[in-house]
Amino acid sequence: MEIRFTLNHNSVTAVIEPNLRLLDLLRNQFHLTGTKEGCSIGECGACTVIMNGKAVNSCLVLAGQCEGAEIITIEGIEKDGKLHPLQENFLKSGAIQCGFCTPGMIMSAYALLLENPNPTEEEIKDAIAGNLCRCTGYKQIIDAVEKSAKEVEK
Amino acid sequence: MIPVKEILLPRSIDEVCRLLHNNNGSSKIIAGGTDILPGFHIESPRFKNIERLIDINNVKELKSVSVDNDVISIGSAITFSEIISNQILNENLPLLVKASKTIGSTQIRNRATLGGNFINNAPCADSVAPLLVYDAEIKIKSYNSEKVMKLQDFLVKPYGTRLNSDEVVTHIMIPLPSKKYVGDFYKLGRRRAVTISRISLAYLIESVNGIINDLKIASGAVTPIGTRFYDVEQFAKGKILNDDSIKEIAIKLGEQILDVSGIRWSSEYKIPVVQHVCYQLFKEIERGSNLIK
Repeated sequence: MEIRFTLNHNSVTAVIEPNLRLLDLLRNQFHLTGTKEGCSIGECGACTVIMNGKAVNSCLVLAGQCEGAEIITIEGIEKDGKLHPLQENFLKSGAIQCGFCTPGMIMSAYALLLENPNPTEEEIKDAIAGNLCRCTGYKQIIDAVEKSAKEVEK
Repeated sequence: MIPVKEILLPRSIDEVCRLLHNNNGSSKIIAGGTDILPGFHIESPRFKNIERLIDINNVKELKSVSVDNDVISIGSAITFSEIISNQILNENLPLLVKASKTIGSTQIRNRATLGGNFINNAPCADSVAPLLVYDAEIKIKSYNSEKVMKLQDFLVKPYGTRLNSDEVVTHIMIPLPSKKYVGDFYKLGRRRAVTISRISLAYLIESVNGIINDLKIASGAVTPIGTRFYDVEQFAKGKILNDDSIKEIAIKLGEQILDVSGIRWSSEYKIPVVQHVCYQLFKEIERGSNLIK
Protein backbone atom coordinates (compact mmCIF):
# COMPACT_ATOMS: atom_id res chain seq x y z
CA MET A 1 0.00 0.00 0.00
CA GLU A 2 1.03 3.60 -0.50
CA ILE A 3 0.96 6.16 2.30
CA ARG A 4 1.57 9.90 2.41
CA PHE A 5 2.54 11.68 5.58
CA THR A 6 4.76 14.42 6.92
CA LEU A 7 8.16 13.33 8.15
CA ASN A 8 10.32 15.88 9.94
CA HIS A 9 8.39 18.72 8.30
CA ASN A 10 8.60 17.33 4.74
CA SER A 11 5.78 15.66 2.81
CA VAL A 12 6.77 12.13 1.92
CA THR A 13 5.30 9.10 0.20
CA ALA A 14 6.17 5.49 0.92
CA VAL A 15 5.19 2.17 -0.55
CA ILE A 16 4.88 -0.30 2.31
CA GLU A 17 3.77 -3.75 3.29
CA PRO A 18 0.70 -3.57 5.57
CA ASN A 19 2.51 -5.46 8.33
CA LEU A 20 5.35 -2.93 8.53
CA ARG A 21 5.74 -0.99 11.77
CA LEU A 22 6.37 2.75 11.79
CA LEU A 23 9.69 1.96 13.51
CA ASP A 24 10.84 -0.20 10.58
CA LEU A 25 9.65 2.33 8.04
CA LEU A 26 11.72 5.07 9.71
CA ARG A 27 14.85 2.99 10.14
CA ASN A 28 14.91 0.83 7.02
CA GLN A 29 13.23 2.91 4.33
CA PHE A 30 14.06 6.44 5.46
CA HIS A 31 17.36 5.43 7.11
CA LEU A 32 16.52 7.50 10.18
CA THR A 33 18.34 5.22 12.56
CA GLY A 34 18.22 7.61 15.51
CA THR A 35 14.97 5.94 16.52
CA LYS A 36 15.97 2.74 18.33
CA GLU A 37 14.33 -0.62 18.80
CA GLY A 38 14.50 -1.92 22.35
CA CYS A 39 11.76 -4.13 23.74
CA SER A 40 9.34 -4.07 20.74
CA ILE A 41 6.32 -4.16 23.07
CA GLY A 42 5.93 -0.59 24.20
CA GLU A 43 7.68 -0.79 27.52
CA CYS A 44 11.14 0.75 27.05
CA GLY A 45 10.40 3.88 25.00
CA ALA A 46 13.59 3.69 22.90
CA CYS A 47 11.48 3.96 19.73
CA THR A 48 9.54 7.05 20.85
CA VAL A 49 8.66 9.52 18.09
CA ILE A 50 6.13 12.35 17.86
CA MET A 51 2.92 11.53 15.99
CA ASN A 52 0.50 14.43 15.56
CA GLY A 53 2.09 16.28 18.46
CA LYS A 54 2.06 13.32 20.87
CA ALA A 55 4.80 10.95 21.99
CA VAL A 56 4.12 7.40 20.79
CA ASN A 57 6.00 4.12 20.68
CA SER A 58 6.77 3.61 16.99
CA CYS A 59 7.03 -0.16 17.62
CA LEU A 60 3.28 -0.21 18.38
CA VAL A 61 2.15 1.82 15.38
CA LEU A 62 1.78 0.22 11.98
CA ALA A 63 3.09 2.33 9.11
CA GLY A 64 -0.28 1.85 7.40
CA GLN A 65 -1.91 3.75 10.26
CA CYS A 66 0.17 6.85 9.52
CA GLU A 67 -1.65 8.10 6.43
CA GLY A 68 -1.86 11.89 6.78
CA ALA A 69 0.03 11.92 10.08
CA GLU A 70 2.78 14.30 11.14
CA ILE A 71 5.79 12.39 12.38
CA ILE A 72 8.83 13.93 14.02
CA THR A 73 11.89 11.89 14.90
CA ILE A 74 15.08 12.79 16.76
CA GLU A 75 16.57 13.82 13.38
CA GLY A 76 13.83 16.41 12.97
CA ILE A 77 14.33 18.61 16.01
CA GLU A 78 17.60 20.35 15.15
CA LYS A 79 17.36 23.62 13.28
CA ASP A 80 19.79 24.61 10.51
CA GLY A 81 22.45 22.28 11.81
CA LYS A 82 22.08 23.56 15.35
CA LEU A 83 21.10 21.06 18.02
CA HIS A 84 17.83 21.51 19.90
CA PRO A 85 18.31 22.80 23.48
CA LEU A 86 17.30 19.35 24.75
CA GLN A 87 20.11 17.73 22.75
CA GLU A 88 22.60 20.37 23.92
CA ASN A 89 21.61 19.99 27.54
CA PHE A 90 21.63 16.20 27.49
CA LEU A 91 25.25 16.46 26.34
CA LYS A 92 26.19 19.16 28.83
CA SER A 93 24.44 17.59 31.83
CA GLY A 94 25.94 14.16 31.36
CA ALA A 95 22.49 12.81 30.60
CA ILE A 96 23.99 10.55 27.95
CA GLN A 97 26.09 7.52 28.60
CA CYS A 98 25.62 4.66 26.13
CA GLY A 99 23.08 6.78 24.27
CA PHE A 100 20.64 4.05 23.34
CA CYS A 101 17.70 5.46 25.30
CA THR A 102 18.58 9.05 24.47
CA PRO A 103 16.61 9.65 21.24
CA GLY A 104 13.44 8.23 22.79
CA MET A 105 14.03 10.07 26.04
CA ILE A 106 14.54 13.36 24.20
CA MET A 107 11.42 12.84 22.08
CA SER A 108 9.32 12.24 25.21
CA ALA A 109 10.77 15.41 26.73
CA TYR A 110 10.20 17.26 23.45
CA ALA A 111 6.51 16.23 23.47
CA LEU A 112 6.23 17.39 27.08
CA LEU A 113 7.66 20.83 26.27
CA LEU A 114 5.28 21.19 23.31
CA GLU A 115 2.32 20.92 25.69
CA ASN A 116 3.85 22.27 28.87
CA PRO A 117 6.75 24.68 28.43
CA ASN A 118 7.28 25.02 32.16
CA PRO A 119 6.99 21.54 33.70
CA THR A 120 7.55 20.64 37.34
CA GLU A 121 9.95 17.86 38.29
CA GLU A 122 6.97 15.53 38.84
CA GLU A 123 5.60 16.34 35.39
CA ILE A 124 8.99 15.60 33.85
CA LYS A 125 9.17 12.28 35.68
CA ASP A 126 5.68 11.41 34.49
CA ALA A 127 6.53 12.34 30.88
CA ILE A 128 9.61 10.10 30.81
CA ALA A 129 8.16 7.26 32.91
CA GLY A 130 7.79 5.24 29.70
CA ASN A 131 11.48 5.58 28.81
CA LEU A 132 13.91 3.23 30.46
CA CYS A 133 17.54 4.20 30.96
CA ARG A 134 19.88 1.55 32.35
CA CYS A 135 23.14 3.44 32.65
CA THR A 136 23.02 7.22 32.89
CA GLY A 137 20.59 7.57 35.76
CA TYR A 138 17.50 9.69 35.69
CA LYS A 139 18.77 12.58 37.79
CA GLN A 140 20.94 14.02 35.03
CA ILE A 141 18.17 13.48 32.51
CA ILE A 142 15.64 15.38 34.61
CA ASP A 143 18.18 18.17 35.11
CA ALA A 144 18.73 18.38 31.36
CA VAL A 145 15.00 18.65 30.69
CA GLU A 146 14.54 21.31 33.39
CA LYS A 147 17.39 23.35 31.96
CA SER A 148 16.02 23.02 28.43
CA ALA A 149 12.55 24.10 29.48
CA LYS A 150 13.97 27.38 30.73
CA GLU A 151 15.90 27.93 27.49
CA VAL A 152 13.05 26.96 25.17
CA GLU A 153 10.69 29.29 27.01
CA LYS A 154 12.93 32.34 26.47
CA MET B 1 5.46 -12.02 12.96
CA ILE B 2 2.67 -9.63 12.04
CA PRO B 3 0.20 -11.52 9.80
CA VAL B 4 -1.61 -8.44 8.47
CA LYS B 5 -2.08 -8.19 4.71
CA GLU B 6 -4.32 -5.14 4.52
CA ILE B 7 -5.05 -2.02 6.57
CA LEU B 8 -8.23 -0.07 5.96
CA LEU B 9 -8.89 3.49 7.15
CA PRO B 10 -12.66 4.11 7.29
CA ARG B 11 -13.98 7.58 8.15
CA SER B 12 -17.46 6.77 9.49
CA ILE B 13 -19.19 4.21 11.70
CA ASP B 14 -21.30 3.10 8.73
CA GLU B 15 -18.16 2.41 6.74
CA VAL B 16 -16.69 0.41 9.65
CA CYS B 17 -19.88 -1.70 9.79
CA ARG B 18 -19.79 -2.30 6.02
CA LEU B 19 -16.18 -3.47 6.25
CA LEU B 20 -17.05 -5.83 9.13
CA HIS B 21 -20.11 -7.27 7.39
CA ASN B 22 -19.81 -11.06 6.99
CA ASN B 23 -16.48 -11.03 8.81
CA ASN B 24 -15.27 -14.58 9.36
CA GLY B 25 -12.76 -13.48 11.98
CA SER B 26 -9.96 -12.51 9.63
CA SER B 27 -10.81 -8.81 10.01
CA LYS B 28 -10.20 -7.01 13.25
CA ILE B 29 -10.63 -3.46 14.44
CA ILE B 30 -7.47 -1.70 15.57
CA ALA B 31 -7.33 1.59 17.47
CA GLY B 32 -4.27 2.15 19.66
CA GLY B 33 -2.81 -1.26 18.87
CA THR B 34 -1.05 -1.39 22.25
CA ASP B 35 -2.47 -4.86 22.98
CA ILE B 36 -2.70 -6.14 19.41
CA LEU B 37 0.92 -5.48 18.35
CA PRO B 38 2.48 -7.21 21.38
CA GLY B 39 -0.11 -9.96 20.82
CA PHE B 40 1.20 -10.50 17.29
CA HIS B 41 4.76 -10.82 18.57
CA ILE B 42 3.95 -13.60 21.01
CA GLU B 43 1.78 -15.25 18.34
CA SER B 44 -1.20 -15.08 20.64
CA PRO B 45 -3.95 -17.38 19.34
CA ARG B 46 -6.33 -14.45 19.78
CA PHE B 47 -4.64 -12.53 16.97
CA LYS B 48 -3.22 -15.34 14.88
CA ASN B 49 -5.46 -15.32 11.81
CA ILE B 50 -5.92 -11.61 11.40
CA GLU B 51 -5.34 -10.59 7.79
CA ARG B 52 -7.20 -7.32 7.65
CA LEU B 53 -7.04 -4.50 10.18
CA ILE B 54 -9.69 -1.81 10.26
CA ASP B 55 -8.15 1.30 11.83
CA ILE B 56 -10.85 3.41 13.49
CA ASN B 57 -8.67 6.36 14.52
CA ASN B 58 -10.03 8.52 11.69
CA VAL B 59 -13.69 8.02 12.65
CA LYS B 60 -14.54 11.32 14.38
CA GLU B 61 -17.83 10.01 15.84
CA LEU B 62 -15.81 7.48 17.82
CA LYS B 63 -13.71 10.17 19.51
CA SER B 64 -16.48 12.43 20.77
CA VAL B 65 -17.66 13.15 24.31
CA SER B 66 -21.14 14.62 24.79
CA VAL B 67 -23.88 14.94 27.39
CA ASP B 68 -27.47 14.47 26.33
CA ASN B 69 -30.51 13.92 28.57
CA ASP B 70 -28.26 13.40 31.59
CA VAL B 71 -26.27 10.65 29.86
CA ILE B 72 -22.58 11.06 29.09
CA SER B 73 -21.69 9.45 25.79
CA ILE B 74 -18.03 8.67 25.13
CA GLY B 75 -16.73 7.50 21.76
CA SER B 76 -15.00 4.14 22.15
CA ALA B 77 -11.82 5.26 20.35
CA ILE B 78 -11.06 8.05 22.83
CA THR B 79 -7.50 7.69 24.10
CA PHE B 80 -6.61 7.76 27.78
CA SER B 81 -4.73 11.04 27.21
CA GLU B 82 -7.89 12.50 25.72
CA ILE B 83 -9.90 11.30 28.73
CA ILE B 84 -7.39 12.91 31.11
CA SER B 85 -7.64 16.29 29.37
CA ASN B 86 -11.42 16.25 28.79
CA GLN B 87 -13.32 18.77 30.89
CA ILE B 88 -16.69 16.97 30.88
CA LEU B 89 -15.06 13.77 32.09
CA ASN B 90 -12.98 15.55 34.74
CA GLU B 91 -16.10 17.19 36.14
CA ASN B 92 -18.35 14.16 36.09
CA LEU B 93 -16.32 10.96 36.03
CA PRO B 94 -13.28 11.64 38.21
CA LEU B 95 -12.71 7.95 39.01
CA LEU B 96 -12.37 7.17 35.31
CA VAL B 97 -9.93 10.07 34.91
CA LYS B 98 -7.91 8.94 37.93
CA ALA B 99 -7.74 5.37 36.61
CA SER B 100 -6.74 6.63 33.15
CA LYS B 101 -3.77 8.47 34.64
CA THR B 102 -2.45 5.20 36.08
CA ILE B 103 -2.54 3.31 32.78
CA GLY B 104 0.78 2.59 31.07
CA SER B 105 3.13 5.42 30.14
CA THR B 106 2.48 8.68 28.31
CA GLN B 107 3.24 6.92 25.02
CA ILE B 108 0.70 4.18 25.80
CA ARG B 109 -1.96 6.63 27.02
CA ASN B 110 -1.52 8.63 23.80
CA ARG B 111 -2.57 5.59 21.73
CA ALA B 112 -4.52 3.16 23.92
CA THR B 113 -8.27 3.62 23.92
CA LEU B 114 -11.09 3.19 26.41
CA GLY B 115 -12.94 0.77 24.12
CA GLY B 116 -9.80 -1.23 23.49
CA ASN B 117 -9.18 -1.57 27.21
CA PHE B 118 -12.42 -3.41 28.00
CA ILE B 119 -12.77 -5.18 24.65
CA ASN B 120 -9.36 -6.74 25.23
CA ASN B 121 -10.72 -7.36 28.75
CA ALA B 122 -7.49 -8.24 30.49
CA PRO B 123 -8.10 -8.89 34.21
CA CYS B 124 -5.95 -5.83 34.94
CA ALA B 125 -7.81 -3.44 32.58
CA ASP B 126 -7.85 -0.38 34.81
CA SER B 127 -10.81 1.41 33.27
CA VAL B 128 -13.23 -1.43 34.00
CA ALA B 129 -13.79 -1.02 37.75
CA PRO B 130 -14.60 2.71 37.43
CA LEU B 131 -16.90 2.05 34.45
CA LEU B 132 -18.74 -0.62 36.45
CA VAL B 133 -19.40 1.64 39.44
CA TYR B 134 -20.63 4.32 37.05
CA ASP B 135 -23.16 1.77 35.67
CA ALA B 136 -21.76 2.06 32.14
CA GLU B 137 -23.66 0.73 29.15
CA ILE B 138 -22.20 0.27 25.72
CA LYS B 139 -23.62 0.75 22.25
CA ILE B 140 -22.76 -1.94 19.71
CA LYS B 141 -23.34 -1.65 15.97
CA SER B 142 -23.13 -3.96 13.04
CA TYR B 143 -24.16 -3.62 9.38
CA ASN B 144 -27.82 -4.28 10.16
CA SER B 145 -28.26 -4.02 13.90
CA GLU B 146 -27.69 -1.77 16.86
CA LYS B 147 -27.94 -2.70 20.51
CA VAL B 148 -27.22 -1.38 23.97
CA MET B 149 -25.86 -3.64 26.69
CA LYS B 150 -24.67 -3.20 30.25
CA LEU B 151 -20.89 -3.31 30.36
CA GLN B 152 -20.93 -5.98 33.04
CA ASP B 153 -23.04 -8.23 30.80
CA PHE B 154 -20.67 -7.61 27.90
CA LEU B 155 -17.62 -8.78 29.85
CA VAL B 156 -17.63 -12.58 29.98
CA LYS B 157 -14.22 -13.88 31.02
CA PRO B 158 -10.56 -12.85 30.90
CA TYR B 159 -9.93 -11.67 27.32
CA GLY B 160 -13.49 -12.62 26.41
CA THR B 161 -16.55 -10.47 25.66
CA ARG B 162 -19.88 -10.81 23.88
CA LEU B 163 -18.62 -8.84 20.87
CA ASN B 164 -19.27 -10.66 17.59
CA SER B 165 -16.71 -10.43 14.82
CA ASP B 166 -19.01 -8.26 12.67
CA GLU B 167 -19.68 -5.74 15.45
CA VAL B 168 -18.08 -2.51 16.64
CA VAL B 169 -18.52 -0.90 20.06
CA THR B 170 -19.28 2.71 19.20
CA HIS B 171 -20.00 4.43 22.51
CA ILE B 172 -19.83 4.06 26.26
CA MET B 173 -22.87 5.61 27.92
CA ILE B 174 -22.91 6.62 31.56
CA PRO B 175 -25.79 8.19 33.46
CA LEU B 176 -24.63 11.55 34.83
CA PRO B 177 -23.63 10.64 38.41
CA SER B 178 -25.37 12.45 41.22
CA LYS B 179 -23.14 14.95 43.00
CA LYS B 180 -24.19 13.33 46.28
CA TYR B 181 -21.65 10.56 45.71
CA VAL B 182 -18.04 10.67 46.74
CA GLY B 183 -15.58 7.96 45.84
CA ASP B 184 -12.12 6.93 44.87
CA PHE B 185 -10.07 4.67 42.62
CA TYR B 186 -7.18 2.75 44.09
CA LYS B 187 -4.54 0.78 42.21
CA LEU B 188 -1.76 -1.37 43.56
CA GLY B 189 0.99 -2.61 41.24
CA ARG B 190 4.47 -3.97 41.78
CA ARG B 191 5.95 -0.50 41.33
CA ARG B 192 4.58 3.02 41.28
CA ALA B 193 4.75 4.06 37.63
CA VAL B 194 4.00 2.26 34.35
CA THR B 195 2.75 -0.73 36.23
CA ILE B 196 0.23 -3.50 35.74
CA SER B 197 -2.48 -3.68 38.39
CA ARG B 198 -2.38 -6.47 40.91
CA ILE B 199 -5.33 -5.02 42.78
CA SER B 200 -7.65 -2.19 41.90
CA LEU B 201 -10.80 -0.93 43.59
CA ALA B 202 -13.31 1.71 42.59
CA TYR B 203 -16.22 2.84 44.69
CA LEU B 204 -18.87 5.51 44.99
CA ILE B 205 -20.72 6.12 48.22
CA GLU B 206 -23.56 8.33 49.31
CA SER B 207 -23.88 8.86 53.04
CA VAL B 208 -26.44 10.96 54.85
CA ASN B 209 -25.82 12.00 58.46
CA GLY B 210 -23.21 9.31 58.88
CA ILE B 211 -25.38 6.51 57.48
CA ILE B 212 -24.55 4.74 54.23
CA ASN B 213 -27.41 5.40 51.85
CA ASP B 214 -25.88 3.83 48.76
CA LEU B 215 -22.64 2.10 47.81
CA LYS B 216 -21.25 0.96 44.47
CA ILE B 217 -18.03 -0.99 44.59
CA ALA B 218 -16.05 -2.91 41.97
CA SER B 219 -12.65 -4.56 41.70
CA GLY B 220 -10.13 -5.18 38.95
CA ALA B 221 -7.08 -7.49 38.65
CA VAL B 222 -7.80 -9.28 41.95
CA THR B 223 -10.82 -10.94 40.31
CA PRO B 224 -10.66 -12.80 36.95
CA ILE B 225 -12.38 -9.81 35.31
CA GLY B 226 -13.63 -6.49 36.65
CA THR B 227 -16.50 -7.28 39.03
CA ARG B 228 -19.22 -5.35 40.88
CA PHE B 229 -20.04 -6.60 44.40
CA TYR B 230 -23.77 -6.23 44.82
CA ASP B 231 -23.84 -8.33 48.01
CA VAL B 232 -21.35 -6.02 49.67
CA GLU B 233 -23.35 -3.03 48.49
CA GLN B 234 -26.56 -4.44 50.00
CA PHE B 235 -24.70 -5.35 53.16
CA ALA B 236 -23.42 -1.80 53.58
CA LYS B 237 -26.69 0.00 52.99
CA GLY B 238 -28.20 1.52 56.12
CA LYS B 239 -25.06 0.92 58.17
CA ILE B 240 -23.66 3.67 60.33
CA LEU B 241 -20.24 4.77 59.12
CA ASN B 242 -18.06 3.83 62.07
CA ASP B 243 -14.97 1.76 62.64
CA ASP B 244 -16.85 -1.47 63.38
CA SER B 245 -19.09 -1.36 60.32
CA ILE B 246 -16.20 -0.35 58.06
CA LYS B 247 -14.28 -3.41 59.29
CA GLU B 248 -17.34 -5.59 58.61
CA ILE B 249 -17.66 -4.22 55.07
CA ALA B 250 -13.95 -4.77 54.39
CA ILE B 251 -14.15 -8.37 55.66
CA LYS B 252 -17.26 -9.00 53.57
CA LEU B 253 -15.51 -7.65 50.45
CA GLY B 254 -12.59 -10.04 50.99
CA GLU B 255 -14.98 -12.99 51.32
CA GLN B 256 -16.84 -12.01 48.16
CA ILE B 257 -13.59 -11.69 46.20
CA LEU B 258 -12.56 -15.18 47.33
CA ASP B 259 -15.97 -16.45 46.20
CA VAL B 260 -15.45 -15.02 42.73
CA SER B 261 -11.79 -15.79 42.18
CA GLY B 262 -11.35 -18.95 44.25
CA ILE B 263 -8.24 -19.55 46.31
CA ARG B 264 -5.08 -18.72 44.36
CA TRP B 265 -1.44 -18.83 45.36
CA SER B 266 -1.60 -15.08 45.92
CA SER B 267 -4.83 -15.06 47.95
CA GLU B 268 -3.06 -15.16 51.27
CA TYR B 269 -1.37 -11.92 50.39
CA LYS B 270 -3.98 -10.20 48.29
CA ILE B 271 -7.13 -10.65 50.35
CA PRO B 272 -5.79 -8.95 53.51
CA VAL B 273 -4.42 -6.17 51.30
CA VAL B 274 -7.79 -5.64 49.62
CA GLN B 275 -9.51 -5.65 52.99
CA HIS B 276 -7.08 -3.16 54.41
CA VAL B 277 -7.33 -0.90 51.36
CA CYS B 278 -11.12 -1.03 51.59
CA TYR B 279 -10.90 -0.18 55.29
CA GLN B 280 -8.57 2.76 54.63
CA LEU B 281 -10.75 4.11 51.84
CA PHE B 282 -13.88 4.02 53.97
CA LYS B 283 -12.07 5.58 56.91
CA GLU B 284 -11.43 8.54 54.61
CA ILE B 285 -15.18 8.96 54.22
CA GLU B 286 -15.73 8.64 57.96
CA ARG B 287 -13.18 11.39 58.44
CA GLY B 288 -14.94 13.39 55.74
CA SER B 289 -11.63 14.08 54.10
CA ASN B 290 -10.74 15.08 50.61
CA LEU B 291 -12.31 12.42 48.47
CA ILE B 292 -12.99 12.79 44.80
CA LYS B 293 -16.41 14.29 44.25
